[in-house]
Amino acid sequence: MTYVLEMKDMSKKYGDFLANDTISIHLKKGEVLAIVGENGAGKTTLMRMLYGLEQPTSGEIVLNGKTVKFSGPHDAIENGIGMVHQHFMLFSDFSVTENIVIGHEPKQNGFFNRKAAAEKVKELSEHYKINVNPLKTAGDCSIGEQQRIEILKVLYQGADIIILDEPTAVLTPLEIEELLKTIQFLAEQGKSIILITHKLPEVMKVADQITVLRNGKVTGNVLTQNTDVEQLATMMVGRELQKLTDRIQLDGDPLLVVENLTIGGKNAKPILDQLSLTIHRGEIVGIAGVSGNGQSELIQAITGLRKIDSGSVHLGDTIFSGKTVAYRRNAGLAHIPEDRYLWGAAKEAAVEETGLMGYYRKRNFNQSSFIKLNSFRKLVRGWIDRFEIKTPSLDEKSGNLSGGNLQKLIVARELGFETDFLIAAEPTRGVDIGAMEYIHEAIIEKRNNGDGILLVSSELSEILTLSDRIAVMYEGKIVDILNRNEATEERLSVLMAGGNENEASTKTTTTA
Amino acid sequence: MKLQRKLQQLLKSLIQPLTAVLIGLLTGAVAISLVGASVLETYKVMWDGAFGNFYFVTATLARATPIILIGLGLAIAFRAGVFNMGAEGQMVLGAVSAALAALYVPGSGIIKILAALLAGFLAGGLWSLLAGWMETRFKVQLLISTLLLNYVAVLFAGYLVSRPFQDKSGSAALAQTHMIDQVAWLPKLFQGMSVHMGFVIAMVLAITLYIILRFTSAGYEVRMLGYNPFFAEYGGINKIKVLLFSMFFSGGIAGLAGTVEVLGSQYRYVEGSLTVPGYAWTGLMAALLANSNPLGTAVAAILLAALQTGAMGMERNTEVPLEIASVIQGVLILFVTAKITMNWWKVKKKAGDIHGAA
Repeated sequence: MTYVLEMKDMSKKYGDFLANDTISIHLKKGEVLAIVGENGAGKTTLMRMLYGLEQPTSGEIVLNGKTVKFSGPHDAIENGIGMVHQHFMLFSDFSVTENIVIGHEPKQNGFFNRKAAAEKVKELSEHYKINVNPLKTAGDCSIGEQQRIEILKVLYQGADIIILDEPTAVLTPLEIEELLKTIQFLAEQGKSIILITHKLPEVMKVADQITVLRNGKVTGNVLTQNTDVEQLATMMVGRELQKLTDRIQLDGDPLLVVENLTIGGKNAKPILDQLSLTIHRGEIVGIAGVSGNGQSELIQAITGLRKIDSGSVHLGDTIFSGKTVAYRRNAGLAHIPEDRYLWGAAKEAAVEETGLMGYYRKRNFNQSSFIKLNSFRKLVRGWIDRFEIKTPSLDEKSGNLSGGNLQKLIVARELGFETDFLIAAEPTRGVDIGAMEYIHEAIIEKRNNGDGILLVSSELSEILTLSDRIAVMYEGKIVDILNRNEATEERLSVLMAGGNENEASTKTTTTA
Repeated sequence: MKLQRKLQQLLKSLIQPLTAVLIGLLTGAVAISLVGASVLETYKVMWDGAFGNFYFVTATLARATPIILIGLGLAIAFRAGVFNMGAEGQMVLGAVSAALAALYVPGSGIIKILAALLAGFLAGGLWSLLAGWMETRFKVQLLISTLLLNYVAVLFAGYLVSRPFQDKSGSAALAQTHMIDQVAWLPKLFQGMSVHMGFVIAMVLAITLYIILRFTSAGYEVRMLGYNPFFAEYGGINKIKVLLFSMFFSGGIAGLAGTVEVLGSQYRYVEGSLTVPGYAWTGLMAALLANSNPLGTAVAAILLAALQTGAMGMERNTEVPLEIASVIQGVLILFVTAKITMNWWKVKKKAGDIHGAA
């Protein structure tokens, strides 16, 4: 069988940096090709060349047996290549239909025929079993719906090859299931799919063929049936992954106690509703929940970044309510924030200055209000060695570090306080597998040390790997707390979507 | 290696202000040739007017003194991420308070001077603090409140010296205070030259501020607040406290600018003597040109003062009008603001990209 698409020996150089080094891929009609690799492996660069956003330094793109050259996305679209970007490009004030037909509107006497457009969209949506409401305003659609709009847009434009760039990064577990089904269905309909991702379980479920990239080179091209997650991970990272340190069974005293915490919302519905939660020493409590159900507010309430309306927070014997952030931090709280650029760092500040936050107050680094930079630099160099943070120097602007390296710096800083209690919100968001290992390892180590940890993550796998107990948040409440051994991804998904426990347990029993 | 990188960074930070100055001078050159004069000769005369001999150098430094202080005050506010536009009002209130303190506080010369410095600092500082407090308490935008408070301050100072504290002894009843007793004058640095002790105060302050911002925990808190207020709050910095402190010192130093002008060169508060030369706005330009680095601000302030004194020399000795200096300054402002907008735009753009940084 011939290939619909071949990319042969593609290379891309940015100055001295070789982002893609003679990468070749091939794709058959109706096939799902997954391209996996860590951040910075060159996945995005390769796809940008295919979509006409970058010009290759060398190499050849062969489409249906003919060599092609794209000067821009327009060329790519015309040749039947469509791309669904990680960040949706929708006009939020326009209807779903308008967003889909934009650029190729059906016309009647030169005017935009809305009715025909809506019908076409409906047809398309039914044909590919991609469910959208054509008349809804795009801005009112959920993230999952918005993604479906993007996919329909690409189909409407007549794409036969569809590139999906990290499509599951923003979705809930149930939406992911649905998307994977859609991908399979599209492939059955004869579309060829290129799936860019670093989530290996999804790849194993949906891909026919997998190409692994590392440092701009192909390190493996395998058929899904001949491989497994471990082998893929090894090819991605370049070494075998270590098993996480065993957890020591600890029965610690209560450490962080949250009681009846309430924060009112703009409407009648409160953001946090009489929430109570206890975290013991030597315990990791994971919070699972679809984002926007009050997780961020809970963290801000505990850390003192947000005022609460009623309820109380204690850490050991220390009362937190009404106290400043600095007070709470001194009392034994560290916090890996969910958004590293918003909360965790100052992009304009030097690496050492981002690291200095909190430490500059400590006696070891402060002599009559002069900062002892030399002693502090030793500490930062220690972090850089331990977490393999890549930075040209300590003076480098924090914003110039890659996302993963900045995250490692923040994690190192917060772990370095050696506090009794740690809040880890999305501790591995956007970091590669190697760094993820380090961070997970460090969190487990801290737990085994007898410290308490509150973990909030949108990655269910991360919650399941690390937590001793898992609290599910829905609409500002904790709807259920499961022990490590009784939690499954499926059960959590149901609870996260607001389903009650009975439903969840019947479901698990029927599947079991 | 490390030194080389530091040097590179330094050069990089100098490129933009230097380009701005260069383009300013080029535009000035066009304007000069339009009025039909020789560009090189005119610039030579300007240079001589600013730095030609010792007398002119000291005159330039004297003019630079209030500009440096204003620039330093604004640099603190900018570093903390707040746009204090009220330097003029803070300076004028500082000046009038200093003049009154020097006139009416009893005691020896040194006591009068210290009282005047304190009064000037406090008046400017508290005036600025008022705007800061309104921001933290009622969310009144600082940019607007500081700007509007200028009018209140300038008109109030004008009232003070045209009614209750007016010097009616002279033949023409000008809006000014009595002359301060000679014992309370800031000494001149050189016999017969206009540069006075205020210049030394300004330079010492520039170095002190540089050290505070760079090496102390207070400076760290100010800078982090300016870089990213969320990060500062997250790390336990008391946002409100640091903002109010920054505003207080920012206004206080602007008040000192007025104070040293009164004590060192005018010896009384004369209405309009500080606003007409536009010290506040030149100081603003100096801080922006130097990207709020205290030492750089001092240098930029001296250069801008030189542009003004040079232009005066040019007007004395050539047919070219004084306004050429305004043209050059205008172009500088244009470039400085373009730089701010560019940065702002870049930040906005980056903020939009944040979620794409996977």
